[in-house]
Amino acid sequence: MTTQSIAAPARSRRRPAERRNLPRLRTVVLAGSAYVIGLVFLLPYIEMVITALRPAGEIKDRDYLPHHFDFSNFTNIWSTGLGTNLSVSLEIAVGSTALVLLVAIPAAYYTARRDFRGKKVFLLLVLITQMFQPTAMIVGIYREFLTFNMIDSVWALILVNAGFNMAFAVWILNAYFGAIPKEIEEAAVVDGCSRIGAMFRVIIPLAMPGIVTALIFTFIAAWNEFIVALTLISSLNKQPLTVKTSDYIGQYSTDWQHLFAGSVIATIPVIILFALIEGKVVSGLTSGSVK
Amino acid sequence: MALTACSSSGSKSSGSSSSGNVTLKLLAPDYGTPGGPDSSQKYWQGIVDDFHKANPTITVQVQIVAWTNWDQVATQLQNKQYPDILLGDAPQELAASNLLYPLTDVMSASTISNLIPVFAKQEETDGVAYGAPFTTSSRALFYNKKLFAAAKIASPPKTWADIQTDAAKIKALGNGTIGYGLPLGPEEAQAEAYLWMLGNGGGYVDSSGKYDINSANNIETFNFLTSMVKAGDTEPSPATVNRTKDIWAGFADGTVGMAGGSGALIPSITKAGKLTKDDYGVVTMPGKTGPLTQALAVHDDITAFKSGGHAAQIKQFLDFAYADKYQIQFDNEYSLLPATTSASQSLSASDPVAAGFLATVPNAVVYPTNSNWDTLKSKIQQTIGTAAQGTDPSKVLGALQTFATANN
Amino acid sequence: MTQTTHAGVRGSAPDPGGAPRRPRRKGGLVRALAPLPWIGPATGLILFVVIWPVIAMFQTSREHYSSLGVLVGSAGWNNFTRLFDEADLGGVVVRTVVWVVAVVGATVLISLGVAQLFNKEFPGRRFARWALIAPWAASVVMTSIIFKWMLDPNNGVVYVLLKQLGLVKNFNTNDTNWLGDPTTAFWCAVFVAVFVSIPFTTYALLAGLQAVPSDVYEAAKLDGANPLRTYWSVTLPLLRPALLVAALINVMNVFNSFPIIWELSGGGPGSQSATTTIFMYQLKQSSIGEAAAMSVVNFGFIIVIVLLFLRASKWNSAED
Repeated sequence: MTTQSIAAPARSRRRPAERRNLPRLRTVVLAGSAYVIGLVFLLPYIEMVITALRPAGEIKDRDYLPHHFDFSNFTNIWSTGLGTNLSVSLEIAVGSTALVLLVAIPAAYYTARRDFRGKKVFLLLVLITQMFQPTAMIVGIYREFLTFNMIDSVWALILVNAGFNMAFAVWILNAYFGAIPKEIEEAAVVDGCSRIGAMFRVIIPLAMPGIVTALIFTFIAAWNEFIVALTLISSLNKQPLTVKTSDYIGQYSTDWQHLFAGSVIATIPVIILFALIEGKVVSGLTSGSVK
Repeated sequence: MALTACSSSGSKSSGSSSSGNVTLKLLAPDYGTPGGPDSSQKYWQGIVDDFHKANPTITVQVQIVAWTNWDQVATQLQNKQYPDILLGDAPQELAASNLLYPLTDVMSASTISNLIPVFAKQEETDGVAYGAPFTTSSRALFYNKKLFAAAKIASPPKTWADIQTDAAKIKALGNGTIGYGLPLGPEEAQAEAYLWMLGNGGGYVDSSGKYDINSANNIETFNFLTSMVKAGDTEPSPATVNRTKDIWAGFADGTVGMAGGSGALIPSITKAGKLTKDDYGVVTMPGKTGPLTQALAVHDDITAFKSGGHAAQIKQFLDFAYADKYQIQFDNEYSLLPATTSASQSLSASDPVAAGFLATVPNAVVYPTNSNWDTLKSKIQQTIGTAAQGTDPSKVLGALQTFATANN
Repeated sequence: MTQTTHAGVRGSAPDPGGAPRRPRRKGGLVRALAPLPWIGPATGLILFVVIWPVIAMFQTSREHYSSLGVLVGSAGWNNFTRLFDEADLGGVVVRTVVWVVAVVGATVLISLGVAQLFNKEFPGRRFARWALIAPWAASVVMTSIIFKWMLDPNNGVVYVLLKQLGLVKNFNTNDTNWLGDPTTAFWCAVFVAVFVSIPFTTYALLAGLQAVPSDVYEAAKLDGANPLRTYWSVTLPLLRPALLVAALINVMNVFNSFPIIWELSGGGPGSQSATTTIFMYQLKQSSIGEAAAMSVVNFGFIIVIVLLFLRASKWNSAED
């Protein structure tokens, strides 16, 4: 597809006679290949939705679509208390996101604006944190929260998710704040704002795309986190959706239709959220990655 | 104030409300679906509530962990979070770490004498029992009568050769049928492997109880399994295929012709709704030259931890929970078998399928009781399947033998 | 938590004699502590949530636990000796390298193309971009389970299609055994890993593309460079920072990736499709200490990768 998109304009320039037709052809080719790629990325999730709608008796049928769709799979799992799990997931995701922004914004702002002893150490620490994932040290995490008597606590999950996702937020925001000219801030200070006031009234609004990007990344990571929740949470009413749906992979059989119905419910909010801010993610990453 | 309240009610409701109350923690796996109507949470909560009514000063907290999440328990133990009562694996390893009460401290003599002897014997370390069997099952060969009829096979297999020819015929039916379902994946490879080793006079230990995993007989057994796999008489990759979710589910769906199973397979068959009671049969597992003379029986055990210091209360609770009523309730719910003689007798009288399995129990073969068996078992589960799927059996079994003797 | 914070930061910033930036003079200690309110909470969170468990892992790697998780005693370096004696370890390490290189390489190459395409104007671009978001938004665990389901040897939809095309003869046979055979299972896992890595990478590169000023292209056009040449000598160099960041994040994610291989094959048969992260979980079943030793070795790999990255991006000189 790379060659298509690049070769098309090339031809149009060399043969002016065809210029009028080609842009349209080029658009068709571009759009066509983009749609195909989009479809490829959707296919597994389409299969997920179809399986979620299969009647129990048709789960193992070797066909593309069931003979009829069974919407009761969704109502069934809802009646097993999925609402509670949904709100736990929401608590964890919102809590971790809030905590990340709360600690990452000041840190990123300060490191972008000031020089101080230990700045390199701090940024290196952040970079290294970015490299670690909870999967690799699950035993250590369990031991720690046991020490603090925080096993089976939603707060523990909020802390872990915030801790492991903060690094990315600091990096994105650091680049963002760094790209905002100092003069703008100084002008605000001259106008009578305090340093903190300038940060809130001028800097944060300017850095909004970066903040939204950091927010979305943290939210999604926390929403989808599985291993730590599986290890730390034992009460059924404190399980987030990811752990709850995995319970449908039972000892004796897997309730595929319920497993996927739960997954659809768990995935839809994130997709909507993502779609809403799709444009911002690009601009948010722009500053972060180009620095 | 608290003091007066205490002394005034002291004679009445069995002692002080503040210091006499004991909470026991019970940790058990879910034999049903977590959160579902058959969840073991309901079973235990029922017992615990009944018990609390009879013994108001003792509260039992139930924590149920899904089998699929059973790793949680190891993590808890590793971090010294001990329950008072654990339903799970054999007691030897925990006993070796000096964590458990001897059974006589936490169960009355009459309850102990009611435990089925072949299993009770398994709980011992140096002649002292540190646990009690709670639920048991024994293995036999399930076969699909519909597929047998379609493949024109007259009678169920008695020997390995029978299995091989029958499996080939069933596979030839096409449409994705599997002749013999061979689950040598991590879930329970040690059981399936054991069933086959037994059929050739082998096993994990020799007659003196020493590990003998890479014996000539065992190697021959896996060479035979490899030939079955190569010929397509089984599913293609036994080393990654698990017992319940893959093979049992496949049997319940009618795609697997033969599979080793226990009573626990029956609810899956009922739930899938593809096979009726008359569509499948259960026979003794075939060996190389004829049916096994001893069935493989397995059990899950109750152990009691010393850390809480509540031996007396645990004893009260366990004596209560081992009543026939609860034993049979458990077996009816999950199609497993009781661990006590009296419950077995009454279940045999009422349930012919269970009676068939129970008949094999007194003479059953069980897993080794060597103190490192649990560690070795994990290693077997992870690796033994490769010996039937292309890796040289003498290599795989040799590595297991080395592991078994080096980590003693 | 707060206390850890203060200790940590004070330790790293003992600066009584630094040059004053503000006209108002302050005591050395006060100045050294000035960053605290800003970076203190972040440092505290890192120390508490990330560094503490790392230390706990190191401790565990020197301890001997029974398979049920009971601490038996100190193990010295036994866990490491046993780990290095594992016959499977060599293959696992090599496979891990192949895994990271193959997944990240394919991801970056494909994403470069997709980003180029999605950067062009065409009707419905928004919808196409939305579709690309799906694997990013869905949890990797879920996506892996879906792929496992689509490759189910009994009724996987992929095999249903291949059967219609005549490429698969029968279900539950070697034809439908992609996840049971170690080689095909590994490459299926690579495919899924690329699949879930492309969205983020594409977006990062899209961001990089949009930051390229259009006058650069105008200049290239005036110079008479053809599009391929323009891409090679103008676009790619300008994309380098975005590429580097995206590649690093991918390397880390892919190296640490657990759910994909775990769900698809469990690392099996045996450990024949396991990477070091999966191998660690397999070891955890029989020996937590040995698994912790594997984690420590993994950390070693991570540190090496970080150092390589710092070198590649000249992080030290870039930070003023």
